[in-house]
Amino acid sequence: MGKKKHQNKGERSNSLEHGSTKVPPDTPRGARELTDLGYKAIIDLLPCYLTIQDRSFQILQTNQTFRNDFGEAAGKKCYEAYKKGSETCPSCPVAKTFADKKVHIGEETVQLADGALAQMIVYAAPVLDAFGNVAAVIELSTNISKIKEMQKELTFLGQSIATLSHDIKNILEGLQGGAYVVDEGLKDEDKELVNRGWSIVKKNIAEVSSLVRNILYSSKKRHPTCELVAPEALVREVVGLFHEKAKSLNIELKELYNPRLPLVNLDPVAIRRMLSNLIWNAFEACENDREKAVHTVSVRADFYDGNHFLFEVEDDGIGMDESTREKLFTDFYSTKGTAGTGLGLLVVHKIVTEHGGKIEVFTRPGKGSLFRVLLSMRQPRNL
Amino acid sequence: MVDKVAKILIIDDNRDFLFTMETFLKRNGFATITAEDGEKGLELAQKEHPDLVLLDVMMETLFSGFEVCKQLKLDPGLKDIPVIGISGMGDELGVGYKKESDKEYFNPDEFFEKPVDKGKLLAKIKELLGQ
Repeated sequence: MGKKKHQNKGERSNSLEHGSTKVPPDTPRGARELTDLGYKAIIDLLPCYLTIQDRSFQILQTNQTFRNDFGEAAGKKCYEAYKKGSETCPSCPVAKTFADKKVHIGEETVQLADGALAQMIVYAAPVLDAFGNVAAVIELSTNISKIKEMQKELTFLGQSIATLSHDIKNILEGLQGGAYVVDEGLKDEDKELVNRGWSIVKKNIAEVSSLVRNILYSSKKRHPTCELVAPEALVREVVGLFHEKAKSLNIELKELYNPRLPLVNLDPVAIRRMLSNLIWNAFEACENDREKAVHTVSVRADFYDGNHFLFEVEDDGIGMDESTREKLFTDFYSTKGTAGTGLGLLVVHKIVTEHGGKIEVFTRPGKGSLFRVLLSMRQPRNL
Repeated sequence: MVDKVAKILIIDDNRDFLFTMETFLKRNGFATITAEDGEKGLELAQKEHPDLVLLDVMMETLFSGFEVCKQLKLDPGLKDIPVIGISGMGDELGVGYKKESDKEYFNPDEFFEKPVDKGKLLAKIKELLGQ
């Protein structure tokens, strides 16, 4: 049954380019004119890419939409035209259709004439000759890059929710644990125990508020609102907020900035958030490092080269191994055990990208980490 | 005859959690020892031979909680010590978790999810200790 159906399709498509079809008398004017153009014109106008290929994947015919985006390709191999490649694709639906005369579907990443990559869903259908052999294959490709992007966003959302619930559970554990310690301290009128419990509660309140700010930041599609600011002023403001916490964690917090840095177009709200997250991260790295009793975190703003300046946050905390470093910004890094991690660095990455900047990470396990953000000193006002 | 006080080893890289659990268990009549990473935890287990181990399976240290569990269960002298695993990851229970134990992987005897229900935890500890 299936075979017969394909054969019919094949026969029909074989005759596509010849002549037009009979139009019912009540067809509206516009549609009638279109039909008068003939099938070839309609195929040319289809909002998808159509090629007809022989057994060696040589392109025999293309439609206009294809030629618009991939250029002239008759005589070229399919993989040359679509991928600028020299080899057949691993799971080519056209090859499968030549093998079994059936319709096949695949997904491929192709390169448009302007160099941009696009993801395609590819349909291959057989064109059969009078003996029922596959004479050629019609390949129809639709650009599904937008759908793929949405799919990625959904996956990301799922991962985000999983990581967030993990972070929130850890914070809840801290809040409940802290409250329990306070209760026990009150019961025994043990002031020291009350203080210890209360500090656990306060720490977790700070963590939940940082988490919420980062959730809000990462969920909004906000555009940077830039103004001319002095990078060192931002460093001073943000570092100022962390002195008390640094003291409680036995961290020496240093700020170093070059006063000759020029005013730069930056989104001050975003850059403050970015610096806060990097400092928060550095503090956590120090807190997790049990080898040293006292740690140092340095925050810098300085020239990098003639066109760029840098923000740096350096710690001598626990450091990271290579696999952790690699995964830092690529996705939600959800293998972390403590609260408040993962999302913060993702927000940092988002802010740096919005500013057209670059982020470098240098780290050694047990030695510490350095996060360096490079930004142009000639940022345009509207990013 | 007075019952011997049961000794519980708590292994977690979060100091606040260690302190909270220590306070909780001591106030419920147990003796506690603590370790902030897996390596020290294993050392303590070998030296002190606790009656039960409370283990964070999602520690950020190089020696993960699941690895600690494996080492405990592979040690003939320690394999009978009940292990309660604690994770903040919910149903997935975190990276490195498998549903079934095998030659390479050993599940803790029980799992608890953060935030830990202290009443249920106490009941489970008593059950595992045969109290």
